[in-house]
Amino acid sequence: MTMNQNELLSALVDGELQGDELDQVLQILAEDKMATAQFKRYQQTKDVLNGYGERGLSYNLANRISLAVEKEPVYSQHMTELKSKANVITLPTPFWKQMTGLAMAASVGALAVVGVMTQPQNNLVSNTPIAAIEAPSEVIRVAQTGARWTVDEPEIEYRLNNYLLDHNEQTGSSGVFSYARVVSYGAE
Amino acid sequence: MNVDLELVQRVQAGDKKAFDVLILKYQQRIVHVITGFVHDPVEALDVAQEAFIKAYRALPNFRGDSAFYTWLYRIAINTSKNYLTARARRPPASDVDAMDATNYYDAPELKEFETPETRMMSDDLEQGIHEAIQALPEDTATAIKLREFEGMSYEEIAEVMECPIGTVRSRIFRAREAIELQIQEIMGEGEQQ
Repeated sequence: MTMNQNELLSALVDGELQGDELDQVLQILAEDKMATAQFKRYQQTKDVLNGYGERGLSYNLANRISLAVEKEPVYSQHMTELKSKANVITLPTPFWKQMTGLAMAASVGALAVVGVMTQPQNNLVSNTPIAAIEAPSEVIRVAQTGARWTVDEPEIEYRLNNYLLDHNEQTGSSGVFSYARVVSYGAE
Repeated sequence: MNVDLELVQRVQAGDKKAFDVLILKYQQRIVHVITGFVHDPVEALDVAQEAFIKAYRALPNFRGDSAFYTWLYRIAINTSKNYLTARARRPPASDVDAMDATNYYDAPELKEFETPETRMMSDDLEQGIHEAIQALPEDTATAIKLREFEGMSYEEIAEVMECPIGTVRSRIFRAREAIELQIQEIMGEGEQQ
């Protein structure tokens, strides 16, 4: 083991190899068991520096895994490509762009249709001129007359009525259900 | 050069020895992650072995969209959870996010499984490493600190220290040698006790 080789191993630990150095270092590791041991030590030093447990935790793990992996098939570039293609169907990028655009357009269209459908259907109302509508024989009062307010002062009653009217107009335009509770001084 | 990706591509092309390098690089971290789930160290090694074999089998599907370690980390987590489920033990509700995988030492999920002995050894090591770095020449100490504690690449360190990349590499190598000696010393003392 030369200093230069050790330096290469140290750079491998950091993943900082240049050009064909990976070939060189893999060659060294394949031929020299001392190099593998040294690489392992550098790696463990790095792990300790980074706080990944104390050294020697997994003494024979690498050997165990290597032995287990030996029983596994050897991949070839062709096999890898086939397996990769079998799992993922790659579509050309323009196709995805077209599909995304189409999906967005469809969504906007659907929203517009739903929006229109939920609007009041004005054209369902009879187009009969107002003058032609016969006046009902009796007037139906929706609002109850009587003691809406428990105040005797007409000015306050007037202001409260205006307040309620404003409130109804505001809530009506915003689509919120109209509800108001007014608390005032009682008349004693 | 992305060394991990190069190694993966070599395995995909039929070079099993390249996978050995990946095992050596990541075995310690993977065991550390698994120990957070499977507390028994012996069982953790079995699960780690299983995780690496699963990774080897799935390697043809690895296309380099994420870093190799992130991918391996996910496999390790899933293998641990499956192992616990098979053993009818409840897997932890949360795990360390893969994005934080390289910083998981501080994760409380993993800290809680420390024993006083391992804690003491870790403390000794930490102190020994600190002393070893202090004893280094300033340039060498700076290079290793920037690499290991700041996570800078050789190129970034070369820029910061205004020197060639080759010099950075030599300094880091020398620092590693010195720290390695210190660790050997501490571990030797630890074994005698």
